[in-house]
Amino acid sequence: MCSIHRLCLLGVSLLAVPFSSALAQNGLQDIPDTAFDAQQKAFKVIEGASINLFAHEPLVRNPVHMNWDQRGRLWVVSSPLYPHIKPGQEEQDRIVILEDTDGDGVADKNTVFADNLHIPTAVLPGDGGVFVANSIEVLFLKDTDGDDVADERKVVLSGFGTEDTHHLVHTFHWGPEGMVWLNQSIYIHTHLETPYGIRRLLGGGMWHYRPETERADVFMKGLVNPWGHAFDTWGQSFLTDGAGSEGINYVFPRSVFKTSPGASRVLSGLNPGQPKHCGLEFLTGANVPDELEDVLAAPDFRGNRINLFRLTDNGSSYTSTQIEDLVTSTHKSFRPIDVKMGPDGAIYIADWYNPIIQHGEVDFRDPRRDHEHGRIWRISFDDQELVEKPDLVGASNSELIGHLNSDEGWTRHLAMVEMRTREKGEMMKALQETAAPEDVDPELAKMRYIWGTQALNQFDKEAAADLLEAKNHKARAGALRALYYSAGSNPDALAIARKAAADPHPQVRLWAVSVLAQLDSPDTVRIALGALEGIEVDEFLDFAIWSICREHSDRWVEKAKSGNPFESMSQLLFAVRALNQPVAIPQILSALESGDLTGESATADVADLVSKVGNAEQLNRLFELALMENTSDVDKQILLESLVSAGKLRKLQPSGDKTRLSQFLQSNNVGLFSSAASLAGLWKLESARPGLKEAFQKSPENPARGKAAMDGLISLGGPATAKLFDELATNKTAPYLLRSLAVIGRTRMNPQAGAQIAIAVLKDAPEGKDPHGIFDAFLSNKKGPPALAAVLNKGSLPQAIALTGVQKASSAATKPEGLVAALQNAADLKPMKMSLTDTEMEAMMNEVATQGDPHRGEAIYRRAALQCIVCHAIGGAGGIIGPDLVSIGSSAPVDYLINSLLQPSEKIKEGYHTTLVTLKNGDSFAGAIAREDANEIVIRDAAGVEHRVPKKEIASNNISPVSLMPPGLTATLREDEFVDLVSFLAHLGKDGDFKTPPNRYIRHWQAMSPHERTRDAIGHWGKKIFAEDVESYVWSVFYAEVAGGLPIDEMPEVVGRGKNRYSVARTFLDVSSPGDIHLKISGKLKDLTLLHGETEIKLPEDTSEAEITIPIKEAGRQKLTIVGLRSWGLDSVSIEALDDAGKVILPTVSEF
Amino acid sequence: MKSPFLLALSGLLALVTSPLLAETEPLLKSGDKVVIVGNTIIERARLSGHLETALQLAAGPEVEDLSFRNLGWSGDSVFGDSRSYFGTPEEGRTRLSQNLTDLKPTVALLCYGTGAAMSVESGWTNEKSAAKTSGAGMEESLKLFTEAYQELIERVRTASGPQLREIVLISPPPLENLPAPLPDQTENNKRLAQFRDAIRDIAVKDNLRFVDLFNALGGDDFSGEIASPALTTNGVHYSETGYQILAKALVEELGYPESASPSSDSPSVAKLRSEIIEKNRLFFHRWRPANETYLFLFRKHEQGQNAKEIPMFDPLIEEQEKSIEKAKELVFSESAKQ
Repeated sequence: MCSIHRLCLLGVSLLAVPFSSALAQNGLQDIPDTAFDAQQKAFKVIEGASINLFAHEPLVRNPVHMNWDQRGRLWVVSSPLYPHIKPGQEEQDRIVILEDTDGDGVADKNTVFADNLHIPTAVLPGDGGVFVANSIEVLFLKDTDGDDVADERKVVLSGFGTEDTHHLVHTFHWGPEGMVWLNQSIYIHTHLETPYGIRRLLGGGMWHYRPETERADVFMKGLVNPWGHAFDTWGQSFLTDGAGSEGINYVFPRSVFKTSPGASRVLSGLNPGQPKHCGLEFLTGANVPDELEDVLAAPDFRGNRINLFRLTDNGSSYTSTQIEDLVTSTHKSFRPIDVKMGPDGAIYIADWYNPIIQHGEVDFRDPRRDHEHGRIWRISFDDQELVEKPDLVGASNSELIGHLNSDEGWTRHLAMVEMRTREKGEMMKALQETAAPEDVDPELAKMRYIWGTQALNQFDKEAAADLLEAKNHKARAGALRALYYSAGSNPDALAIARKAAADPHPQVRLWAVSVLAQLDSPDTVRIALGALEGIEVDEFLDFAIWSICREHSDRWVEKAKSGNPFESMSQLLFAVRALNQPVAIPQILSALESGDLTGESATADVADLVSKVGNAEQLNRLFELALMENTSDVDKQILLESLVSAGKLRKLQPSGDKTRLSQFLQSNNVGLFSSAASLAGLWKLESARPGLKEAFQKSPENPARGKAAMDGLISLGGPATAKLFDELATNKTAPYLLRSLAVIGRTRMNPQAGAQIAIAVLKDAPEGKDPHGIFDAFLSNKKGPPALAAVLNKGSLPQAIALTGVQKASSAATKPEGLVAALQNAADLKPMKMSLTDTEMEAMMNEVATQGDPHRGEAIYRRAALQCIVCHAIGGAGGIIGPDLVSIGSSAPVDYLINSLLQPSEKIKEGYHTTLVTLKNGDSFAGAIAREDANEIVIRDAAGVEHRVPKKEIASNNISPVSLMPPGLTATLREDEFVDLVSFLAHLGKDGDFKTPPNRYIRHWQAMSPHERTRDAIGHWGKKIFAEDVESYVWSVFYAEVAGGLPIDEMPEVVGRGKNRYSVARTFLDVSSPGDIHLKISGKLKDLTLLHGETEIKLPEDTSEAEITIPIKEAGRQKLTIVGLRSWGLDSVSIEALDDAGKVILPTVSEF
Repeated sequence: MKSPFLLALSGLLALVTSPLLAETEPLLKSGDKVVIVGNTIIERARLSGHLETALQLAAGPEVEDLSFRNLGWSGDSVFGDSRSYFGTPEEGRTRLSQNLTDLKPTVALLCYGTGAAMSVESGWTNEKSAAKTSGAGMEESLKLFTEAYQELIERVRTASGPQLREIVLISPPPLENLPAPLPDQTENNKRLAQFRDAIRDIAVKDNLRFVDLFNALGGDDFSGEIASPALTTNGVHYSETGYQILAKALVEELGYPESASPSSDSPSVAKLRSEIIEKNRLFFHRWRPANETYLFLFRKHEQGQNAKEIPMFDPLIEEQEKSIEKAKELVFSESAKQ
């Protein structure tokens, strides 16, 4: 068995590699030079900037979070204790105060404020002391005698979870309205007892807390590690995620993002496929060059760099475009985890300093963990003036109010913090009496005045109501956000929200709905649904309205039972679909039948609703609609599929005559036939059996029809189906596909019976593969593996097919160890060598370092047989089953990478655990929970297929300790190939060729397979034939390489005239408005042809790089096809969009 | 609903702790292992140590080897919400049972009710069958609380084992009004009085010792005035001084004469209290360690090897108990001299 031999060889040869004694000592120690100078030299900063060391160890060790006080001093919490206190260890984590008294950009006065903390994860000076996250609690520490050492300690909030110490409550931030904002991560379960009652948040999310009233409430839920929060000029909130991969997230009240427990719907971030971040700050002020003003800085601690993103408005939300990096480093211990603008206008970076990160994947006590070092870096722009540090503490009340309109974000922010410490009546008076400077936008000045009143807890509601008349929609949205927090006790809030719900701008409507959600009025849902009308409703606004329909359901459901409480039937449909309960179904169906309910998705929406919550009589009304002649084929299929769902998930059938289904079983339309076949089985229509049998037997000619017929026959069941499957499986002359399907069908009926006929078929497996999924059929029911194991004896299977079985069984969430052993015994397989000894590991790591070629490794990564890219994207290009590996090399040690390839289940990334759901009938589904509601769970399996599972059928629901990644995937590699692959992974995210560049390369493509038409057609019509919509062309998913290029020679060879051979790839861009778009194309241009639609775009011939302009007449989807003449030297082509994401949206999947 | 078996069992135990005994016998005996179970008021009591210090001293010099384990959890309910980690409240209750089985207490002090009384409109539990009722207003919320508290008491009995001698129900201390903008707690305090009544009724029915901290700290005399001096930081949560007064009230209500305890401001008492605080710190890392996900839950196959460190706190806690005992002896020998 070659693959096993190879892995064994690998083991043997590793032993043979000589290693020095130094290596033996340092085998696991690839520690970067800790000298300041070594780190300083490794930086590359954005043009015009320089970087210097502001503070460092031993005072600052492993800094976790930092914030400024109004005196311009930087407060830093640091935790050498992380990740876990040792028995006997003191709680000695620190807060230090760093001050640059002489303005030279280096801290020269440093004080230890507190040194008795337990893994503090946030620090926020203000209110005469400092708020500190101290694991389960938020402390308020105070210095009462002026020596800058805490002498008072008070718990202000307690009950935060500690399930994971990098998830602890974090990211404290003063909002412009004078509240403290706090975030928690995915594993944290928090139970706060506030003076207003109990507040719980299970999972990730964000809180706001007002110190003087002690009111704490949840603002939004979800995200894995929301480690960064920044407010924009108008007070909107943006979050980053340290483990999600969607870049910047726009959040608003009640918004829910991925991983929130029990969420039936989640929102996405603004940059799918982007690196993970810790910290977030808007760059602003005089020292920042104009082109970076208001750009978001987000530290990519895995990639040792800080990314920049520019926001532009997009409907109720934003578009976020990544631009060049602020700073990158080749020093692996540079871990930027917080970034803050400073009082001098420079940018300050907390460098946690560690060669390794995480403690889920890397041992708590790994000796490579750094507990000693930590640095604060400072970036300033040489050609811009620094800002003079303002004297906020010495300012008079009116001077302080003046600072609220400063051009410097730092000054505005800390002026608010200082304001809160002064006598509130006096401050309020000064706030009302001080006019805003004339050069400040009056609407913005009014917004800041309103925040000022809130910061003093004397909210001027009237001013906020006035601001709703503003011209700028951001001012109107900001005013609603200011009103949001206390809307419940504001008698004018309903009228304000009613008007704002009809605002011309979708973001204002979004906030109107958010305000409505706070109110008691019986009309809230009716008003909110009005926000659907008259504008384009995007995902975010849709979500907000969906959410209030559910939260306030008791205000409309009773009324909907006897009539439509809303303005239109489509609004009622929206509300009922949001609620997902059997409310108002008869009137909705009547509206669909009579044609009163229009809109392109009306049929699909009603069918989906009725299939989930309708009764038999209502299902029959769907069936009647499907039978009507004037219903389109598309709608017929939608209606039949909804009946299939109802039958499978709810065991519910239409009440009327079901034999009328037969008309669809005659259909040539494969879709209609398939749905009808499923229904025939579910409805036990014996009359359909002959037709299904015939279609099944013709599987080799039409597999889709055949598989559908198989499903129908299984559901019909009985001895007749069993006999058919048994006969076909044992008929040696039948095609392999048919025999396989017969085994699969029989197994799904009864695993023991399937096992009886399986071995003979498996023995004939072509090339030892299992193309139709016989093993999968056994693995998908808990009775399957023991049934198959019971019929396996020594010698009953050839090695190749047995190995396939072992691989599949080993990655099954049910962990069928008995079957694995039986398969190994059956083919005399030796157990796979899955782990390396320490010595072997050292040798292997040495080999990766000295022999590995990351370029060769990338080609191996992309190999179809290895399947890496099918599941793991890199920078968004590739599958979504496993974690994106964009910066794995800079976050994971090499030994971790090697172990993960050999033993995928050993360490599993948070958010990628497999959930194993077993039904009462034994069927099991393994994958990630995509979403869930009261009635069903949707599980996304390793192939990306979603399975809907009714909750009441579930027998057990566990988190499996098994990775979805099969072990032994790399078993077919030669040793040098394995080393190259590891080398590639180890380079990912490090500076150089394997760090995803911020350029907007088109990464998602489809490659054309050879087609009989091309040889002749190209002569008649030229290369535009490749861009034509020919149904029989076959396109397969194709991704760009990390550097952005398309390796042309990896694509299939398409035949042209004579000896000409081509590589053809296509993609689709989404262009937001008509006008020119700009692309940059690189490659051997004289051999390339670019088509927009079917029109050729002229490329210059004598160069290897060109910027081209394509005029776009109609906004929307644009097809681009690139045709390359294959010849020596044509190895890679890249196309980059030069317009931002507001203009050109790049594809994020390759299934167009 | 209580099973007939549990009813029978509780009847049996009631025979053992007759009301007469409970009223005359001192609560604490040599070698007692006392667990304190409750929500925020209990969890935060570990930080100042006043509660345990007062109990240690009230028990007197003859009572030796008295140990306390604080199992308080912020925001907890009688359903065990806060103890449930990733699971349902049922898992929280199971976890509490396991803690009690491991600790084998002889005395259990229970204190619940504040969070529930303040959340009768918004709800205070995620227990599936009870979540809605818990926020359905005073009457339904209180009924639910009473039933669930009775089940919790049965659970404490069963899980602790036969050595459990007494369960004491402590009413929550009263709420206070502090100056605006902190909220007025007058109405909540009235609700809390009703919760106190319900807890007392449970105690009477079940023949349990009951401590009315609500009354002892002035809850029944409260009519909306601003507290002066304040015992709490926000009307709900007790300050360090508040805990000191609360602890004094607790021992008095347990029937320990005030004169028996040495003065609480002597250096030796301060030393005792600091030893207690340190023991509480160590025990916290033992029973509620951080990184639970990796040590014991669904990611233990990754970092579960580190769980071996957690029992290493046990000898440290035992050592610390000795220091407490020593500090206590010093307090009594000093006060005997005076």
